[in-house]
Amino acid sequence: MTALDWAITALRVLVPVLAILMALPILLWLERRGAGLIQDRPGPNRVGPLGLLQPLADVVKFFMKEDLVPANADRLLYVLAPAIALFSAMTTFAVIPYGATVPVGGREVLLVGADVSIGILYLFALTSLSVYGIVLAGWSSNNKFSLIGGIRSSAQIISYELAMTTAAAGVILAAGSFRLTDVVAMQTGTWFGFIPRWNLIPQFFGFVVFYVAAFAETNRLPFDLPEAEAELVAGYHTEYSAMKFAMFFMAEYINMIVASALTVTLFFGGWALPGFEPHGIGGAILSALIFFAKTAFFVWIFIWVRWTLPRFRYDQLMRLGWKALLPIALLNLIWVAFLVVKGWIR
Amino acid sequence: MDPVTASRLLFDAAAGLAILFACVMVVHRHPVKSVLALVVSFFALAVTYVLLSAPLIAAVQVIVYAGAILVLFLFVLMLLNVPEEIRQKSGRPIHQTLSAAAILVFAVALLATLRAHGSPGAVPGSPSAPADIRAVARLLFSEHLLSFEALSILLLAALVGSFCLARREGSS
Repeated sequence: MTALDWAITALRVLVPVLAILMALPILLWLERRGAGLIQDRPGPNRVGPLGLLQPLADVVKFFMKEDLVPANADRLLYVLAPAIALFSAMTTFAVIPYGATVPVGGREVLLVGADVSIGILYLFALTSLSVYGIVLAGWSSNNKFSLIGGIRSSAQIISYELAMTTAAAGVILAAGSFRLTDVVAMQTGTWFGFIPRWNLIPQFFGFVVFYVAAFAETNRLPFDLPEAEAELVAGYHTEYSAMKFAMFFMAEYINMIVASALTVTLFFGGWALPGFEPHGIGGAILSALIFFAKTAFFVWIFIWVRWTLPRFRYDQLMRLGWKALLPIALLNLIWVAFLVVKGWIR
Repeated sequence: MDPVTASRLLFDAAAGLAILFACVMVVHRHPVKSVLALVVSFFALAVTYVLLSAPLIAAVQVIVYAGAILVLFLFVLMLLNVPEEIRQKSGRPIHQTLSAAAILVFAVALLATLRAHGSPGAVPGSPSAPADIRAVARLLFSEHLLSFEALSILLLAALVGSFCLARREGSS
């Protein structure tokens, strides 16, 4: 391997991680200001212009707070739980293509951390591990509110994962590949010259199921039963303070970014836009910006929904998952199979 | 270090980790910790699959076993709040002798099987093409179609069975 190869590999590893970490403070600010906007109040506006430096102040606060471990907690698991949550959140972005190819030194470099053949399966494998962070936090805290939060979370995530993967299976079937760069490639171009070939159009119900399940997977309102503050204090992270609490916080926001990015990749054509053909470095930067703008839109919907809808009851949550979302996802899968057999897509 | 040696070392490390945590699973007295040791063991096993150029099996291993089945185990253990086991002096020395003999018999049987069939075809770090998902699907839906369908009926029967059991208890 030459020095250029090493540099390309290092950048491919680092860029997604750094981009996500840099997006976090902005997202934190957006959430709090957005809440203010929706609830007709200013929100944090004292630190820096428009309150933009508020996340910085929050980070300083997280570092200064006392790091408590309850006396009867299981020390090892109590410390391990936030680390698992953050790890599984940060590693998922690696397989999502965030732009077209960049020509570097006579080579075409894909703008994706790792273009693996099992792409989406890797992503689902890591998200299915994220439940351990929450469940272990709930159990090791030795607190009944935490425990109920952890148990709710495991039931919720297992239920919604099924609908989510079934909805994603429709996209895989249409693309004929698990590789996410192939999924994006099949969505470039248009139908009849003006309708973008996004999976959204033939698989609208698949998209709805996927996006609703994404709210449950990321524990966001209206499905934030694991931390329902009205009944469980703070659910699984009741006993956590300082940076350990911040790690759960970061994991939730990163999961939100990844879920939005995945929705864009699967159903909204990734970086593809009708009439847009990326050429050279400028085209690659533009494609990354398009991807970023689409992702930001879905992240904003996450925030918008949180401050608009009330929380579901637990039995309603389970009924929605098993009796509504899963059958719709299965019907969507059959519909896509029909389209593929007819040769209308692909 | 060349890539073949590196992946060989990585394979040995992952395999060792899998065996170590399988032992922890058996020995540990706390059921929740036992489940977690099994999760680590399965994860290490998935790493060995990746190094044997079988990424699909690795992903399925993590999604199905570590991500779904063991979460259910954990769920049940937490709901029942199973306490740590108390180490007991086993009643008779014959129990210890018998269990040691059983371990010995299985170890010998395992070694004999491994010797008889030689080393497996795939070697970590070998440049063989990674197993294609298409190839796996084609095998599953042609050569092994009958067993595949039989398996799905078995799962359905188990599902209906558990549903009936739960329903009867609920109504009485």
